[in-house]
Amino acid sequence: MVDHDGEPKSGEPLEHAADSQPRSEALGDLAQDLASTSLTLARRFAAGATLWCTAPAWPAHARHIAVEFVHPVIVGKKALPAVAVPGPDPVGSLRQLGRPGDVVVAVAAADDPVVADVMRRAGAWGLVTVWIGMGDRVPTGAADQVLWLPDVDPLAPYGGRFVLLYHLLWELTHVCFEHPGLLVETPESCEVGEVCVTCSDEGRLGEVVEVGAGDEASVRTATGTEPVDTSIVGAVLPGDLILVHAGTAITIVDQG
Amino acid sequence: MAERESTDFLYPFIESDERDTAGLLADLARSADAKAVLSEQLRAATLTAYADALAAAATAMAERFLGGGQLFVFGNGGSSTDAATIAELYARPPIGRGFPARSLVDDQAVLTALSNDVGFELVFSRQLIAHARAGDIALGVSTSGNSQNLMTAFAEARRRNLLTVGLAGHDGGGMAVPGVVEHCIVVRSDSVHRVQETQAGVALDLWDRVQRSFEEMSHR
Repeated sequence: MVDHDGEPKSGEPLEHAADSQPRSEALGDLAQDLASTSLTLARRFAAGATLWCTAPAWPAHARHIAVEFVHPVIVGKKALPAVAVPGPDPVGSLRQLGRPGDVVVAVAAADDPVVADVMRRAGAWGLVTVWIGMGDRVPTGAADQVLWLPDVDPLAPYGGRFVLLYHLLWELTHVCFEHPGLLVETPESCEVGEVCVTCSDEGRLGEVVEVGAGDEASVRTATGTEPVDTSIVGAVLPGDLILVHAGTAITIVDQG
Repeated sequence: MAERESTDFLYPFIESDERDTAGLLADLARSADAKAVLSEQLRAATLTAYADALAAAATAMAERFLGGGQLFVFGNGGSSTDAATIAELYARPPIGRGFPARSLVDDQAVLTALSNDVGFELVFSRQLIAHARAGDIALGVSTSGNSQNLMTAFAEARRRNLLTVGLAGHDGGGMAVPGVVEHCIVVRSDSVHRVQETQAGVALDLWDRVQRSFEEMSHR
């Protein structure tokens, strides 16, 4: 029983009965996804991260997530920094507001072009990404953590299913805070004989900030902004996503 | 309750022997599943208990929409976002018929002006005074059923012959007192989270009934 939220339980007499079942099919694989996302979130918060929330098609969901973390409904739980991304341009706002190590959570369908753009660029900004959605699932790798409901009913976003998901995310994140020994992220060690992206600098995602004279551009990556030689890839423009290796742009991943 | 200081995570050696990440993840997944089951049970029980009340509320709302009425939705905190979702569902549903509906929590200028100048307990009632006409609908969402600004808004709404609809939690609070809200649905749980999840489910069920009632009435 990991639930120590201290709230009265008189309205939930079935809690223990439900707990005693070895495995319910209420959430299926989603339960595991929620667990790992919550631990990631707790670890990032413990390291000082801010949670940025965006939901272009359903802005109320982004606000609900933010208020959940900032102003917990259960007295005694700590307030955590979460913000609904302000303004009509989430990409432009997050580019300025997001700091390396922060987390961005989006509530959006798989075909939301704005959220897809946020997720594509988040690596260059050093942000950890969580994508909550329903219906057709986003492809593997579209976000660091994916919390997906199988519902295809177009009315489901209005019926409380998303609300349940982010409530559980909040509740489980706070359970993780009761285990401070597990909140420290240990860096993944290199496997001998394999190429380690981090150590070998094989290619880090970068976003062109400014194009300089000659073949040089100022490029933002997860570790900061640095000068990059663009002679191999040719002309680049601000906003282009590139792969950077040893101070050189080796590929244009995405233009604009 | 074993709540820790916010700085505890800076001193991981306190429980530095704790390394059972897999055990924690398994606990978390079990907890998530159990809470999802509870949420679904509460939603089903509430929809069953309030089937007649929801039908009556839907008929009354459809009559108002048929007569040209509009819907104002309001709430505080997380309930304000759920209110906004309800307003959006009525105004721009992904399927079905749209109705004139909006949330009274969307305009920061209005909210801060009223809060600063006349008091937060009047932020919704003053907007109803400005916008509402007899025949409109006031729908308030609260997990406690006691929010003062909702109580004043419902009183103002009744004075102006608006239809009043409420989604409350716990024991219903002041909203469940007879005469305060004509159609009040109380989600009987002490967990704010489970209440909000079920309120969203109730709101969707109500919307679906309004859609059908409106269609029936408009074909008479």
